[in-house]
Amino acid sequence: MSSDFYTTSILPYAAIIIKICRAYTNTQEDFEDYYQEVCLQIWKSRKNFKGQSEWSTWVYRLSLNVSMTLLKKKKNNHLYFATDYLPKEANQEPLVFADESLDQLYNAIRQLSEIDRGVILLYLEEKSYQEIADIIGSNPNNIGVRIKRIKERLKKLLDGKVN
Amino acid sequence: MEKSIESIWKEGFINSKALVAPKVNDIYNKKSNHIIEKYEKMFLRNIWGIIIGASLLFIGSCFIGAVLAGGIILIMMLYVAYTAYDELQALKEIDKGRDSYTYLKSFKNWIDNSIERYGKMYRIAYPIFLLTFYFGFWFSDFLDGKRQEVAQNTSDMIFGLHIYSTVIVLFAAILMSVFSKAIHRRDVKAIYGKVMKKLDVALGEMEELRA
Repeated sequence: MSSDFYTTSILPYAAIIIKICRAYTNTQEDFEDYYQEVCLQIWKSRKNFKGQSEWSTWVYRLSLNVSMTLLKKKKNNHLYFATDYLPKEANQEPLVFADESLDQLYNAIRQLSEIDRGVILLYLEEKSYQEIADIIGSNPNNIGVRIKRIKERLKKLLDGKVN
Repeated sequence: MEKSIESIWKEGFINSKALVAPKVNDIYNKKSNHIIEKYEKMFLRNIWGIIIGASLLFIGSCFIGAVLAGGIILIMMLYVAYTAYDELQALKEIDKGRDSYTYLKSFKNWIDNSIERYGKMYRIAYPIFLLTFYFGFWFSDFLDGKRQEVAQNTSDMIFGLHIYSTVIVLFAAILMSVFSKAIHRRDVKAIYGKVMKKLDVALGEMEELRA
């Protein structure tokens, strides 16, 4: 991957990629693996970008798809990272944010389904319902209803009313 | 007052440390380590498979009265297993401190050289295996009755063997010797095909990255 491509086409969206990857991982090591894999997949799939949507929309979609796929593989034990071979203590450094409230919010988001995590992340990034629907592959009306439900669940999770 | 999730989100990321991007150049180191570790594990399992299989065959040969054939096959297979173990040690000596591309290329070269060496060894091993199995089984106590029955019903016999069957087996042994490399390559593909495909894909990607 050329550093030019990384600087011009990925780095401006690094913040959202980081936010997405953090929502699908629990440890620093996994987060770094996911981030690298997303960047690699963006680079590898760049020729598939047909310009039918904004580049940013495409990057969000790809980041979510890659993260969800990696999570599924990991759940099914089909995905192994080099860190899996390390002693547990070595790679269990949890993802902790300096901001305690943000940390709690992330922990709550991680308890949502894979799709719901994507929806709420895009909503928090102030994407319109239409944009979220385009990225997720749904319709704006459903997105609105879904966001309402997710927010209610997040609130319960943050209040400690749901396990 | 309780904060909304929107404000938690916005304020939380004001701290720029939460958005530090990791380095992206490490992924192939991890991928290449994983591919080779997986191959090593499969290779080791395969060595044990050969040892256990040959031992079981030897035990079976004792039961049917073909101890000599079973013993020859056991010794030969143990030699194959020893050679494989030796190959594995060579694989472990590949310098992991090199860059991922060189590391994977070295691994690929190791596979190619290994197939080449095995191909040569199997030029002799395959026919010996087939012929020993055929002669051993035919002259075993287990086929005593069958041997007598064939001898009574046909005159096409030489040294106690049915001529045409023996010619076919000899011909098959020659073919196995001639095509030993191709057969071994197919064997390797059947066992390690997935890992080798991953290796080719990773090397392809890395070559593209280097271009």
